[in-house]
Order: sequence, then structure tokens, then C-alpha cells
Amino acid sequence: MATEQILDCPLDQVPEGPEFIEAAMRWHFSPETGSPYWLERAKTLGFDPREEVRTFDDLRRFPNVANELRDVRVEDLIPRGYGPDAEVVGVYESGGTTGPPKRVVVLRDWLERLMHRTEQDLQARGYPESGHWLSLGPTGPHVFGELVRWQAARRGGIRFTVDMDPRWVKRCIAEGRAEEAERYAEHLIDQSAYILETQDVRVLVTTPPLLTRLARRNALVDLINAKIAAISWGGAHMDPDTRYLLRTEVFPGVKLYGTYGSTMILGGLGERVTSPDEDIVIFDTFSPYITFSVVDQETGEVVRYGDRGQVVMHHVSKSFLLPNNLERDLATRVAPPPGQMGDSVAEVGPLPTFDNEPVIEGVY
Amino acid sequence: MEELILLDALGAGGPYHSRSRQTITELTGAPVAELSLVPRLFVQRTMAALREARTSPPHDRAAALARAGRLFATGTVNGIAAEEYQHIVSRVSGMPITVVRSATAGIGRRAGEAYRTTRHARPQGAVDDWRDPLTCDGHAVWTRRGDVFAVHAAGNHPGVHTLWLEALALGYRVAVRPSRREPFTPHRLITALRESGFGEDQVVLLPTDYAVADDIIRDADLAMVYGGEEVVNKYGNDVRVLPQGPGRSKILLTGDDWESHLGTIVDSVSAFGGTACVNTTAVFVEGDPAPVAEAVAERLAAIPSLPPEDDGAVLPVQPAEDARAIEKYLLDHVDGATPVLGGDGVVDELGDGSGVLRPAVFRVDRPDAPQTGIELSFPCVWFAPWSRADGIEPLRNTLVLTAITEDDGLIDRLVEDPSIRNVYLGDTPTYRMPAWVPHDAYLGEFLMRTKGVIRT
Repeated sequence: MATEQILDCPLDQVPEGPEFIEAAMRWHFSPETGSPYWLERAKTLGFDPREEVRTFDDLRRFPNVANELRDVRVEDLIPRGYGPDAEVVGVYESGGTTGPPKRVVVLRDWLERLMHRTEQDLQARGYPESGHWLSLGPTGPHVFGELVRWQAARRGGIRFTVDMDPRWVKRCIAEGRAEEAERYAEHLIDQSAYILETQDVRVLVTTPPLLTRLARRNALVDLINAKIAAISWGGAHMDPDTRYLLRTEVFPGVKLYGTYGSTMILGGLGERVTSPDEDIVIFDTFSPYITFSVVDQETGEVVRYGDRGQVVMHHVSKSFLLPNNLERDLATRVAPPPGQMGDSVAEVGPLPTFDNEPVIEGVY
Repeated sequence: MEELILLDALGAGGPYHSRSRQTITELTGAPVAELSLVPRLFVQRTMAALREARTSPPHDRAAALARAGRLFATGTVNGIAAEEYQHIVSRVSGMPITVVRSATAGIGRRAGEAYRTTRHARPQGAVDDWRDPLTCDGHAVWTRRGDVFAVHAAGNHPGVHTLWLEALALGYRVAVRPSRREPFTPHRLITALRESGFGEDQVVLLPTDYAVADDIIRDADLAMVYGGEEVVNKYGNDVRVLPQGPGRSKILLTGDDWESHLGTIVDSVSAFGGTACVNTTAVFVEGDPAPVAEAVAERLAAIPSLPPEDDGAVLPVQPAEDARAIEKYLLDHVDGATPVLGGDGVVDELGDGSGVLRPAVFRVDRPDAPQTGIELSFPCVWFAPWSRADGIEPLRNTLVLTAITEDDGLIDRLVEDPSIRNVYLGDTPTYRMPAWVPHDAYLGEFLMRTKGVIRT
């Protein structure tokens, strides 16, 4: 099958893994179709992806180029094969935790594909068919708020938003101004209260820390229980104890689903639907476009199912290529659903940190 | 220990076995217990429940405290008999078993006395209840400054858990964040309190990681935090927080007769394995400190190295790696001081992965030497020369100062100095702590205030 037929396959179909990888390599590394960035970068790879990258496992041959996305002109990221008509939906940036922000371009065809998949997920999870959404989280250059806007629009709702600038919060904390971060967070909760009190919001999308904060105000807990049918959380990990309490005590009548995403994979993935007593959050990928590997932190080898390791993310689509991006998250490797490439992940989160009390002097 | 002890969090809805847990190991590194760690959401919901709870009448509280004290000290709590509890604490903390035993008895006794002890702090002008006939004419009533009291506890000695019992006696609802090193004592004590009449929404145990710990303080009205200099710096300006900072207890010895005080000095350095804030860490000697230091060192050197569960154990034991780190810290800070004992190291490994921290005695050549402020969790003492010309400056910033002197003028100045929190005179060891003597002022002074009430 021709390259573009594979990459542009109908939204409700899934291309075969190896065939898809080969087509994507042809597209991104042919002078006529590849992006200026990748065509230039290919000269230093030491291998020809069109010849040597044929399977999912071969993606690991690529270097992790995520850091280069801090400096690349966004025009250079658009594959030439789109011609002059490439429809740019937006440019989105990472949170800037590890330095200057990294930048990606979202093209219309990718958005259509992602939204089709997301809508299937929402359907499967029983999200309300109509009603408005409240996004309490990053907007601005971040893809988080935009994803919510698109999802809400697809389901006939309006996205209300409370803007959170994560970079400012991180800066406050890094500079020891925790009190300022605290005030800012409470300001965000005040803003959401106005919307929750006055608008017909059915879906709430936010981060676990902000959800925990919302839960501090009894009046808001009551409002959410009365109005909200589903809560999506993402952008940070949720520990299993918090999730248990939210589901059983705080928001017992509300569907609670996690999403795991990143600007660097141009999207987010919904939590696998499991029975409530499984007490575990698993994220399946959007194979073959968004895929994960879970690897040993020391050796880089894929760990066994059930073991923990570091998450490697891959995005391979017609519009964008970012393979082999080592994220700082840890996760348990889980077998994917049949037919998917790579791994599913569970229990995503940072390394458990405890008060190690390194202080020696003193008796306490 | 074949089966791990499960230490649940003790929330307002009962024990909570969390998914996130921390393994508590004993001195050899072998796991002994699993401690449930609760997330921020659990903390905030528990603190809210404490705030909404109602306090039971004073005499019910006093009776329940007394029952809990007996149960804690002698009974079986959470399936663990008192002797077993003492053994575990000794093996986990490395504290000599005899110290743990007397601490257990002490907690039991202090629980029974907690209500009566609070009376010492009540201003003479105040009564306990607005119904008191004295208020008809107008009077002060002693009232709580808040309802919820939080404690960031320490793990250096079980006895740190006696003080907050007074808050319970005064009608506060209390949340304790246990030390990671030794959560067994507060878990046992709070379980005993609950079995003796305190509701689950009256006293809770909230083991959390470091990031969440501050939430406990934020959601309380008042808090008490144990720690070193960094804790004092962090909370020193917060009027809601009472820091229990470093002890830096000292002895001042004037006059020629030091021989008859030798036992008091040695005991003050080595009681409780040297792990308490009331252990002497610096001795100031008028005249030549060398002979005193040598005599103290000789006594301390004779203490045997034993595993902590041995009835003859006096010295603290730590996992060998931790003990070596403490030793390195000490040796890195000698900085010109003259070693009398322990100058070439203090760790005596027992061969099972643990090491005894043997006593250290050093001499410095001037009273303001910075080493006199070093406080370590084993018997470690710095001897300095002192003369009246040096004044009381070197003696300041002290939890307990034992002054062996006949100089009333000097004693006046010591008693007046606000940075010396207890002055003991004569042959009194620094570790003596009768219930009626304030430890670092009466806790009641922090927890309570007077309120004017006039009935017309």
C-alpha cells in the first residue's frame, strides 16, 4: 500500500504495525515529504531510517531528540509532504520543568484522528452526551486545555476554563515562595467556584493536586456531587490512596477517570475501563501513533510485565515524529490489549519519596 | 520476626490500611513493620473531622487518660504485649531496653497525671469554668486557644509522647505525625487512648511523607514540632507553632569539689543512652577541666558495648552505616578540640550489621568554642574552661543548665536569662523531669489563655 494511504487510513481503522512504521519512515525521511528538521537531523543518525527502522522495537534506535525541540523553528517541524496547505491547529509547549519549553506543532489531520479516538474513549467510559466542561488546569501554550476544548466541542458542550500557569507555580516553589504558590492555587479554586456555582457544567477536568484542593471546600464538594457526572484528571500522578478516597468518600457518585498525556506525544490517553474493585489505573496507548515502552532505569532494557521502570514515549504519525523520548515518569509495565504495539502502563508516578531525615546533629 | 507488624494510620473513621506503605526495619536492616502512609487528601479530611468533633467533659478525659496509661504500660494493645512492644522499640531505635521500659512506665504514669499536671500552668487568677461562682463578680476563665492540636513527633525517645497528652487533657483534639524512625510508641498510645474512651475523632495518627507533613500543621489551630535548628528557623516566627528545638543541656561546675559530682555528670551525659534533649552535651568547669574530663571519660569508657535488648545495655545502637555517618560527623567537627575519649572513633560494631555508639569526651580551650553547641544522639560531651569573667554568654541557649555553684548573683542571672529554659542547682542531673516542673515552659501556657467573664 502506498505511504500516504497507510498514514491517512480512515479514522476508524488501525494500520498494521510494521507496515505503518515503514510508511512513516518513508514519509519523514524522504526529501520530498519529510520535515526540514528531520531531513537535516537524519544526516547525523548514522543509519537510514527508511532502511533500518521497520518495527516498533527499531524505534529505540533513534536518539532522544526531545531537547532539540526547544530551539527548532516550528516551520521546520512540518513535513514538506503537506505542501503549502498544511493546516496548523496550534503550537504547544511543554511545562518548562527541565529548562526552556519544548515546542510541537499540531496539524489538522492529527487532531481529527486523536479526537475520533478520544470520543470512542469517552463513550466507553459513559461520559455525559451533552453538557459543558470545566477545565481547571493549564491553558496558554499547553495542550492540556486545548484537548479539553476540542473534546467538549465534539460532544456539543462549551469548555469553561480557569487558567493555570504551571511554569509560574514551579518557579514559585523553586524559589522557596511556597506561600505564593499556595495563594495562587487558592485563587484558581475561587475562579472555579464561580463557574461551578453559576453554570451547567457536567464534566470537570483538572489535575490531582487541584482536585485535592477542591475537596477541601465542602461547598464545592457538594456542588460537584450535585452537578458533575464525570471528572477527568491528568497532568500529574494520582496516588492510589487519594484515588480510593475520592471514589469512595468524596465524590462517590461521580465517574473518576485518569488521563495520561504529554505535549510531546501530542495528546492524552484515557484510563482503561476496569472493574472498580481492581483498584488500579492502567493507560493503554493509541497504537500505532502513540506508544510506550517501560525500561530499566539503569540498562535501558524493557522490564518484565509487572515490574516498574521508566516510561519511554513514542509519537509516530503523518504529522509528527518523536520516537524514543525518555520521560521522567515511572510506571508498572502492563501487557497491552491485543494488536497494540509496545506497552500499557499502570501506577504512573514519581519514585516514592520519604522523609529521609539526613540530619545527623540533634537528638530528634 | 516472621510476620510484619502492620501499623495502620489511625484516622477519624478508624484504622486505615493504606496502599502506600513504608517498611520499618530494625538495626540489622531486617523488616519489622509496615507503616501506612496517608496522602494529603486523607490528612485534610481527618483534620476537618477533628475540627467538627466535640470534646468530652474534663473528668471523663482524665479518667480515660488514666485507663489508657495503664493499658499502654502494662496491657496488650493491637495484639502486642508491653514486653514485646519494648523489645521492638529497642531493636528498632537502638535504645537500651531498660530505657524503653522506664519510658513505658513513665508514659503510663504521665497519662494518669496529665490532667492534674495541666493545673500547674493555670494562672492563679483564673478558674476553669464560667459557672464558677467567682465569675459573678467578674473573673478570668482559662480557655483553649483553639480546638485542634498537631504534633510532629520525634523518635529519639518514647517520652516525647508524654507532653501532648496534656493537650488531650485540656480538651484539644490531637493529631500526631509519628517519626519514621519509631512510630510504634504513638501508634500504641493512640490505640490505647481509643480503647480507653477517646473517640476516633479525638486523637489520630497521621503517618505521612515529608511533603504532606506541613498540611497537618496548616489545618490545626496550634502545633508542636520537634526538630533541630532548622525546625526552629522554619517555625520560629509562627505564633501557632511551638518548636521543640535542640536541647544543648549543660553543666556548670564552679569551686574545687568536682569529685563528689562526678556521678551526676556521668549520668547526665549517658542516661537514656544519651539520646534525649535533657542529656548534657557540654560541661563548663571553673578552673582546669582536664582532670574532670578524664575522670568522666574513665567512667564512660567502662560502659560495655551490648545489644540494646540486653538488660545491661546503656549505650545506643544504630545500623552500622548510620552509626558510621554519625561518627564521621563527629570527627569532621573536632576541629582542634582535644580528644579524651573516642577521638579515633566511637563505633563498636556488634557483627550483626549494627554498631554501638560509644561515648565521646573532648576538651576545648575556650568557653565559646563552637563545638560546645554540638548535640548528637549518643553520649558525647565537650568540656570547656570557664571563669566568672566569661559571664553567662557561653551558658545560654540551653534547655537544662545544672549549675553547681554557691554564687547567688550568678544564679540570679542564669534564672533571669530567657534562653536558659530550666536551671537546676546543686547535684541535680540535667535529665531529671518531674511532672510538676515545666520541661520547656508548661505546655498549657501555649495552649491556653485567659478570658474575662463577668456575670451580672
